[in-house]
Amino acid sequence: MSDHTKARAPFAPWDRRGLPGLFSVEETARRGGNYKWAEMRLFEVLGGWVATVPELDVKLVLGRHAWFHAEHAKRWDERLPELREMNRERLNVPPNPEFEAFMDSVREPEGAELTIEKLVGVYRVLIPRFIGVYTYHLNGTSRITDAPTIRSLTFILQDEYETWRDGEMLLQSLIDSPAKAERAARRYETLETLYVASGGIAGPGSLGEQSAEVPVG
Amino acid sequence: MKKFLAESELARDERFVRTKIEDRVFDPRGVKIAQRNTGPAKMAIDRPAAAERSRSLMHGIFVGEIQALEGAGRTCYDFDVDEAPFALKLDMARQCWDESRHCEISIKLGDHMGTEIGEYTESTFLFAAACNPDPVLRLCGVNRALEGLAIDVFSSMKEFGDESGDPVLEFCEDWMLADEVTHVKMGSDWLRRLTDKDPERRERALEFQRTVDAIFNLGGFRGDEEENVIQLARRFRELAGFTEEENDSLSALARESTEQAREMAEMATAALNAQSS
Repeated sequence: MSDHTKARAPFAPWDRRGLPGLFSVEETARRGGNYKWAEMRLFEVLGGWVATVPELDVKLVLGRHAWFHAEHAKRWDERLPELREMNRERLNVPPNPEFEAFMDSVREPEGAELTIEKLVGVYRVLIPRFIGVYTYHLNGTSRITDAPTIRSLTFILQDEYETWRDGEMLLQSLIDSPAKAERAARRYETLETLYVASGGIAGPGSLGEQSAEVPVG
Repeated sequence: MKKFLAESELARDERFVRTKIEDRVFDPRGVKIAQRNTGPAKMAIDRPAAAERSRSLMHGIFVGEIQALEGAGRTCYDFDVDEAPFALKLDMARQCWDESRHCEISIKLGDHMGTEIGEYTESTFLFAAACNPDPVLRLCGVNRALEGLAIDVFSSMKEFGDESGDPVLEFCEDWMLADEVTHVKMGSDWLRRLTDKDPERRERALEFQRTVDAIFNLGGFRGDEEENVIQLARRFRELAGFTEEENDSLSALARESTEQAREMAEMATAALNAQSS
């Protein structure tokens, strides 16, 4: 028998991708719609804030990040019809009114003296949550059936890490006194409380259901 | 945060000094400078004070880029999707990134040319075009008029870089020029798409563009003649979607504007002479 017709396993020994994943088509579309809504609210406000921050370095970073998050929203928008959701606007919604209230609060600061408040909301509260919810989705979905979502998540997550780092470093350079540290902490606490009340970017279960406490011993 | 920000509310650090455009146009020292008759105004290396003028222009480009960034950012934020569709917002966000890079390039070029932030004044009339409450008019004012001017400015500066043996300036201006052609094309595409069934709104938008263009001609600053500092970059404008007719019309507008400026200078000179005699 010729060697080139010898049967080989369809999956190489190192290919550990498996079936099924945690999410149905419908659930993936629902989450994608929530992600798009949140990314869109984020890129809009980053763009709007550019004119309101006097710090030149912050202004230029916000301009760059506005596009990065717009590109994420675009990817989710394009994924929806591939998940049988032909009306892209139907799922372009927050998961609940509490999350909408959280995003309104993130977008609220306007004055030129409020750069710290603006950045804390985005880079210390919201973007770390994006990293969490996207990582959960990436680890939970099927690497075979949902490979297109995984490709988007991998691309987007890389951006989220980088934008988080840029914003965090700006904050570290801006917070140079106990009074400013106090402002940042107050802002963080307010937004974190609102975020927790919403259950997350995709609502309760954004990071999966926590199992009941397991007795030890 | 509220929708729609007035130009007076633009946030700047302490280095920036703001002036009104009318203060610059009606600066009485302008008459004396005009009397010197130092030859064609086109950017050229044999012009007196060419280096100083190019530095001043580079600073003007820098503050213009900041305002273009701010304008694109506000268009992402100021409108709901029923007024400005999602795809338009995406284009504006992309433009934010481009303008942000242009600011970075302009700052580096300013250093390269020996100027610093705040050395020259800033007038915010560019952002004023980005305050229009109708997104179509705003895009016509910003993406077609302002970004169209940017095409002319970058093309002239690229040529100046080439003639003066400055490859860094020529290289950077060429890259920015590529982005500006894209931005003008965005404006042209959205004008067509959003006013497809509304010719009256399209005409209003084009009229607004003509008004902004007339302001940007700045009394002979831009045009087709040697006496204009900035030359109309017809080839790049065509790439961006301007028709030959539109370019001719802009050229005529520029000639009119140059003529008006000359008449005003003559009147001011006569008044000055009458005063001193």
